[in-house]
Order: sequence, then C-alpha cells, then structure tokens
Amino acid sequence: MDRIFWVRCPHCAGRFFCDYELRHAGLKLECPFCQRQFLPDESPELDERWFR
Amino acid sequence: MARDLPGFLDHLRRHYPALLAEVERQVNPERFEVTALLEQLQRGRQFPTVLFKSTTNLRGQPCEFSIVSNVFATREHCAAALGLPPEQAGMALSLHYSELERRTIPPEVVGRSQAPVKECVRLGEAADAAELPIVRHYEMDLGPVLTMAHVIKAPDEDFYDVTFCKTFYKHDPRRMAISIHSPHFERLLAAYERRDEPIPVVNVLGHHPAFYLGALALAPWGNNDYATIGSFLGEPLRLVPSETWGDRFLVPADAEIVIEGEIPPGERVVVDPFGEITRLYQAQCLRQVFNVKAITFRRGAIMQDVFSGNQGHWNLGGIPKEGSIYNALQRRFGTIRAVHLPYSGCSRLACYVSIDKSREGQAKEIGLVALTETWTVQTVVVVDADIDVFNEQDVLWAIHTYVDPSRDIDLVKNVGTTVFTTAMQRSKVIVDATRPSHVAFPERFKVPDEALARVTLEEWLPQFARPAVPRPAEPPRPLPR
Repeated sequence: MDRIFWVRCPHCAGRFFCDYELRHAGLKLECPFCQRQFLPDESPELDERWFR
Repeated sequence: MARDLPGFLDHLRRHYPALLAEVERQVNPERFEVTALLEQLQRGRQFPTVLFKSTTNLRGQPCEFSIVSNVFATREHCAAALGLPPEQAGMALSLHYSELERRTIPPEVVGRSQAPVKECVRLGEAADAAELPIVRHYEMDLGPVLTMAHVIKAPDEDFYDVTFCKTFYKHDPRRMAISIHSPHFERLLAAYERRDEPIPVVNVLGHHPAFYLGALALAPWGNNDYATIGSFLGEPLRLVPSETWGDRFLVPADAEIVIEGEIPPGERVVVDPFGEITRLYQAQCLRQVFNVKAITFRRGAIMQDVFSGNQGHWNLGGIPKEGSIYNALQRRFGTIRAVHLPYSGCSRLACYVSIDKSREGQAKEIGLVALTETWTVQTVVVVDADIDVFNEQDVLWAIHTYVDPSRDIDLVKNVGTTVFTTAMQRSKVIVDATRPSHVAFPERFKVPDEALARVTLEEWLPQFARPAVPRPAEPPRPLPR
C-alpha cells in the first residue's frame, strides 16, 4: 500500500486523505466536499502517521 | 440481431424476472440517489439488476438517458450473461469463463447506418459530458465517476486493449480525468508518451454484459480484446468507425453510449477519493486528463454503471480469476476440486482452494502456487474436498477446527505489489485448513448417504425442498492441455 496522509480543508473543514506523492509536490489538493483547492501546508490539520 | 444491453434486460424480464427491478421515479445520480437505493438493497441482501428509467443529468435537468446498475451483482446474473443456467453459477461458471477466454471470434465492421451507437452524434462543443446522468457513488468521492470500460489501440500494432478505468467528471464537460492503473494501459500510455502524441481513448458506457466480462479476460499483451469479447458474446463484435479517427479507431457499434477522447501526453490532474473495490476510499492522487472529442449514443440510451465495492464489482474480477487459478493449479497438481475468491475478500484479496489431500505439506505447496497466480490475493486458505469453498461458513469451520496456528499458518513477508489499500501491505498468508493426517485426529460426522437418499425432503417435506446444491464442490472438468 502506498503511504497516505490526511488533511482538513481550510475552507469547509472536511477531512479527506491523499497519496503521499502529493504531500510535498507543490500541487493543490481538491476538497471532495466543497471542491475548493488548497496546498497541504494550508491544512489546519495533517495526519502523516504511517506503518513503521 | 446483435447482442446488446437492451436485449439482455429483455432476457432478464422474460426468463429471470426476480433478477431485475425497474425504478420509474426520477433519480438524481449526482445526489447519491442511485447508490442510496442500491445500498439499501445490498443491506437487505437483495441484488437485482436495477434499471433507473428516469434520470437527471449533471445540471440537474431531466435527460433522455436511463441508468442501469447491478448488472453483475450475482453470479446468476453473470451466468445468464454467458448463456448458463443459474444452477451453474458456481465453479462451472468460472471454468466456462476460462474456456471462453482461450477462444477468439474476429470482429466485423459495419456501416454507420447499421450502428445503433451512431443514432445520435455530438461533436465539438456539443460533446458535453454534463448532459449524462453520471453517478456520484460515495460521500467522500471527489465527484461523479464513470465506471465502465475503455478502449485504447496500440500505436503501431493492430490490436485493441479493453480495460475498466474510472473517468472523473471535473467541472468541465469537455475535460475529464481518467485513472489508468492496469499494466497493459500503462504500457500503451508510455508508448504514446514516448512519441509525445495524444492517446486516442474510448469509454464504452453500456453494452451486453458479455462484452464487459470478455474485457476482463486475462489476455496477454498484444491480444486483440475485440476478438476475445466476440468469444464471450458468441458472435463477432460489431464495430464501426469512430467520429474522431475514422477507420483508424473502430468502436463498438452496439454500445449504448461511446465517449471518444484524447489523453494529452504528460498532463496530470488531481483525482479521487473514490470508494473502491476494497470498500475503502482510494487516496487523492494524480492521473491523466481525458479531453472529450465526441459523444455518440442510441436514442434512449441506457448508461451502465458499476456499484463499486459491492458484489457486481467483485464478480467482475473474481470469476475470471477463479477459472485461471483453477486451471493453473490443476495442471500442476491434478488434485484441485474448486477455487473461490469470496466476497469477504472482495473477490480479490482471499482465495479458497479445495483439494483431494493425499499427504501433509501438499496444501501449503498448493497455497504457495496459488499466491503466485494472481497478484491481488493476500490470503490463501486450502481445505479438503468435502468443504464447499463457495460456502464461507464451511471454510471458516475448517479453519477453526483443523488449524494449528503455529504449524498451519505461514506468513510470507515483503512480496508482490500493493495496489489495494489494506493493512497487510506486502505480506501474504497461507492457511492449511485441511484435516491433520500426521496425527490421530477425529473425523467429521455425517448422516449416512444411504439414509439421505432414502428419506428425502421432496417426498417427506416438499414445502421445504429446494433445488439440489452440489456438495461438495462440483466435480472438475477435464482440462484441455
């Protein structure tokens, strides 16, 4: 399984998760709940824990 | 008359009415109204094919298309699609599938006037995907998703590859996204991208279910999937020149709806989450762009959809794999009774194999080979011939009764690929759930066969009599070498 990370949308507070290739790619994520875009570092909450 | 989706639905209406439900009320598929009904049917363990006769498009307006889902929702549906009676929906169906996938029937080309899919043609700005009733399936899905098969033609070779991929509607009716993840499509994508050329691609949104079952055949690279699909249809697949590429790219003439498009080389957009086969969401990631060039369809076309992560989705991959795993194991060992990829493992992650055991160690050996036959399987359980692999209660009984965990469960670490998101990651497990023969061990009880033959429900309690269920698994057929 590829590593993932969870984000919280800064616009609508919806939580969803992304493939880790998007974590530092400089690309905007797209919120599935409000369709607005934001960078991972703009998320008020990031969960990057993973299997050891 | 050529085999098509309306013909199959008529076949269900006439011969298997319990396998078809028809909804007259208008549904808005983008507002989860299709999946809300399907989910409630699923919770009640009811799996009819559902035809939604009145729908709205992505603008919320009534549209001319209907939607059909759950076409593959039971093995009986799949058997009906391939011309088998429902009582042959077990191992016999998987073996029939594996016979069909070894044959081909060349396609035939027909003129536009003979092609129902050309009854309505939308080109340029008129090729508007928002006119379609595209289903949004699950709460966290990025948006509406088309779930049916695509066709790509090899750039320099004369074959067509047909594979299921998701197409994401992304706010722009002429610019969607396609999620390519099959080995053959990835290879075709790389071949076009090396040439820096747009990739012609066609999304086939509705056809006879044998078309899609044939598209899933485990065919080698270079196989013309249109010819394999002919084997499943039992007749030549009828093709017609596309609007965008003419004779250079032929499309199925009897499809309900065809979207012609191009994948620009190197361009990627964000897609997902999407509720996938494992009943988990796929993580948001980058995938290819799909620029819409043309949409053609029958008048009153039926747009087909797969209720992802449910039985229909599972059957689509499980039935083809059962046949191929059975054939591979039987050729090598000759002791295989049946193979089943159960719904509990999404028909991808777990594999149950029943064998005529003759010695200790045999089950583990068979389990190891089964693991290498299909990369999706994470757990193989091997049981004795008297256990029905299609009856999960039976299989679990064998595990709880016969397995000594320290001896009979083996973990294989760091092997294979990780396409599906599960906590097992790169691990695989083999469970030998056959009755121990190396120690004095109790025997499973049974009512004498003679008594079962003499005292029958049909005679004594006819109101409880049901069609006989083969037990143990149906006897294997001889294998062509």
